[in-house]
Amino acid sequence: MSKEVFSQISPSEFFYRNRDLAGFSNPTRSLYTSVREFVENALDACDHRKILPDIHLSIKAVNPEQADPKHYILTVKDNGPGIDPEHIPLAFGTVLYGSKFGLKQARGMFGLGATMAILYGQITTNKPVTVKSCSDGKSLDEFVMLLDIQKNKPVIQKHTTKEGSKTGLTVSIVLEGDYSKAGSKIRDYVYQTSLITPYASITFEDPAGEKFHYARIVKDMPRPPTVIKPHPHGIDVETIRRMITDTHYQIPAIDNKMIDKVKKELSLKKNLSPKEILERAQKRWSDISKPVRTVISVMSFLNIGFEGLQKIRIDDIDVANKTITYWDFGESQSHAVELNPESPYYKQLASTVQGDTLLTFLTKRFQRVGPTTAEKFCEFAKFKPDKRIGSMTNEELVKLADALQKFEEFLSPDPSCLAPLGEEPLSKGIMKFFNPEFAAVWQRNASAYSGFPFVVEMGIAYGGDIPPNGLKVYRFANRIPLLYDEGSDVVLKIVNETEWTRYKIKGDPPLVIVSHICSTRIPYKTVGKENVADRPEIERELKNALQYLARKLAVHMSRQGAADMAKKRANLYSKYVPLIAQFATELAGKKKEPNYNQLIRMGSEIEEQV
Amino acid sequence: MRLKNKSNAKTAETRKKRLLSMLEQQGLSIYENLDKGKFPQFVIPSRSVSNIVYDKKIRQYILGSASAVRSSRNMSQLRSYTQLAWLAFFVNRLVREGKSSTLRDIYYSSQAFSIDFEDQPESDNIIVDLEAVLTSPREEFHIFPEERSSVFGDLTIEYTVPGYEGKRMNLSDHPDGYLIGPSLSSAELVDTSAELVIAIEKGGLFTRFVEEKVHKKFKAIIVDTAGQAPRSTRNLLRRLNNEMGLPVVILADGDVYGEHIAMVIKSGSANAAHLRELTVPDAKWLGVWATDIEKYKLPTIPMTESDIKRIYDLQKDPRYQEGNWKKQLEVFLKLKRKAELEAFSKYGLTNITDKYLPAKLEESKSF
Repeated sequence: MSKEVFSQISPSEFFYRNRDLAGFSNPTRSLYTSVREFVENALDACDHRKILPDIHLSIKAVNPEQADPKHYILTVKDNGPGIDPEHIPLAFGTVLYGSKFGLKQARGMFGLGATMAILYGQITTNKPVTVKSCSDGKSLDEFVMLLDIQKNKPVIQKHTTKEGSKTGLTVSIVLEGDYSKAGSKIRDYVYQTSLITPYASITFEDPAGEKFHYARIVKDMPRPPTVIKPHPHGIDVETIRRMITDTHYQIPAIDNKMIDKVKKELSLKKNLSPKEILERAQKRWSDISKPVRTVISVMSFLNIGFEGLQKIRIDDIDVANKTITYWDFGESQSHAVELNPESPYYKQLASTVQGDTLLTFLTKRFQRVGPTTAEKFCEFAKFKPDKRIGSMTNEELVKLADALQKFEEFLSPDPSCLAPLGEEPLSKGIMKFFNPEFAAVWQRNASAYSGFPFVVEMGIAYGGDIPPNGLKVYRFANRIPLLYDEGSDVVLKIVNETEWTRYKIKGDPPLVIVSHICSTRIPYKTVGKENVADRPEIERELKNALQYLARKLAVHMSRQGAADMAKKRANLYSKYVPLIAQFATELAGKKKEPNYNQLIRMGSEIEEQV
Repeated sequence: MRLKNKSNAKTAETRKKRLLSMLEQQGLSIYENLDKGKFPQFVIPSRSVSNIVYDKKIRQYILGSASAVRSSRNMSQLRSYTQLAWLAFFVNRLVREGKSSTLRDIYYSSQAFSIDFEDQPESDNIIVDLEAVLTSPREEFHIFPEERSSVFGDLTIEYTVPGYEGKRMNLSDHPDGYLIGPSLSSAELVDTSAELVIAIEKGGLFTRFVEEKVHKKFKAIIVDTAGQAPRSTRNLLRRLNNEMGLPVVILADGDVYGEHIAMVIKSGSANAAHLRELTVPDAKWLGVWATDIEKYKLPTIPMTESDIKRIYDLQKDPRYQEGNWKKQLEVFLKLKRKAELEAFSKYGLTNITDKYLPAKLEESKSF
């Protein structure tokens, strides 16, 4: 047999192997990605605490004389909640330290991308990251630190604490970048981010010292998203399995640590008999935690105290078949004890997940599933409603997951976890950015694809300050501008499939479309997260939104057209009728010209016959 | 000496009066409409292909009964309506003051009156519109094309143009011939000793005919059509035929285009279907026929593809459905070769006048 050599790879090696996926493939892309990660983290932090964001971004060359690619100092400062000093080293000094989980819309997975940027900076320039944070409005902590790549641990070089006055976070890294190539994308990014975040004030100072300032346009924050339970359509077998073994509901492992916890919650100083323990527990039942209640329930059925508990190993609690199986170390043999379903302790065990019936599992653990729907589903899936979820075999779980996908009577996903911008802020942003002659916005109702809720909001703007260079589409997903891979995006597909002449739009119109898709999971086509795949549900929503707006535009265009036509008529008749009169007067041999004013007026007023 | 047939003729003066009266009527109609707050309009006989029909009785293309209204009420027609009104106004001035103009001159003159023609084809088109409205050729409006053809022979004319009124002139005094221009077109034909009019397609042969004294030998007035005969030339041919009672014969190249030059002189063109008095229905096509090519053993050149296509086109024309016209087309198609009038020089420079012309004139008596 040959020996296989296993070697652990460090996060830095992992990073190197995966940097293309993370957006750090070259100095140009890396600079752009780093800007994105820090700006998006800053906006997310402010959104989370309902603080109107005030973001300052600056990029400075370390040595401006040098040619690109060269070292740049990238600094992003926000007015968010800051981070507790104790968490800073971990948050910024280790790879894969995250703090955001749960199902809700966010720009990015917090921490991950930012740490990638820090790591990229350190690898390319060997310079530390500087983090300044004030989380209480009183003290400002400044950390200068490197990442110990081998140990995945922060190495703090300097830590100072000063007096601070405002909360906020400033992160500054040195990295190799190519601003001459990345500049236009970064400027686009800042511009478009300001458009979709009209409640933020964003300032960007480029390496030449030029400042791009986007003032706050609206003062109201959009409603923040809430964390919600999953929708039945959005899960697979693996997710169900994880839900079942979720620590919070699991029957706890009974070890010394657990026994100490039980003793502490019951305030037990000395050893009591099993009966006395149960009596004490009854008195304090409402104060003790769920895992402890479960342990006490087990003790009640086995009729043992703590000492006994230490001598056995619980092998299986089969709530469905009403038996507990345990291994007795002393006797070196297995025992099975029957559970009395009349006992209140049985109920306790039954309320853990293994004990949940399918019906309860469905109504408690999923969003928008009531008892009626759950029963209908059980019938559809050919499961008994009181089937214990814990007793399901692998095949049954696969069948369950399958049925959950196929059942069509679940309500559509709860969109409260989504945070669209809203029609008014979007409209104000569009008016301010483009100063158009006509604009309309529409936020569609929430819809879902594969159990993931999503909302499409769209705006259209025509004329005014928009240059007549043809149609321009601004794409956003979860308030992030999508700048790359435009051609293969579903929004572009819908726009290009539209017959614009039907909406009285011809040639190279001064036309802007702003499209924003919000979802707990945007179906990106590629890991680069720059283009959205054409899911039929999303395509349909986009199409409806665009058609609605295009019709509004068409109404405007025909009104405009009618007004233009009336003006043109008036001009034409004022020009030609006097000429005709002049010619006719001479032809007819008259001296005085006819009174033609009435005709000019009539000519201007005639409705064009269609 | 042949004298003018007064009963048959419309003198220049009566034609002028008729035209001025029609212009005044149009002017009055527009004037009254404007005064009453009504939108004035012109009724223009339609010149679309579907409205052009061949009239066998008068042996020319004429317009059918369809007509179009050009109304100042319709915004998209307002501009061309005004252009037409201006042209009527301008023609009225030209005719009243006895001034002449050309197609190109009309295009440029419009600018002084804020009438904006985009290009000359647009103004040419408006002129044709007015011809249709007033059923008079543009020559009566004193508007002439740039192209000129010539006439030579014993014909006395009397000018009517201002400054020359009553002055007479004989058209055999100058061997280069006389341009058929505005003054000649508007002149009265007084008398002639000629018994025949020979229309010839080419300037070179026209000169040769004068040198060879064809006008004397054949008692002929010679007209150079310079290719397809312009309207003023066709009008003169008609008047020579009509007013002076002279038969008209035509000599053209031995190809399909030559044959059609003869046909247009005889029975007009589709382009001028809205006009009368441009045709000479009794004119005779002397040659060069397709059959002459073989008969006189003329040197030939091969036909091009467009020549052949033209034959097929003409075979659909109602006037080519019978007789010699039909036969010659068929022979041309069979030969797929053509001969020019100059081809006779192979047998000597005077061969055409000494041999061919007398032979064909003799032959023409029988058709």
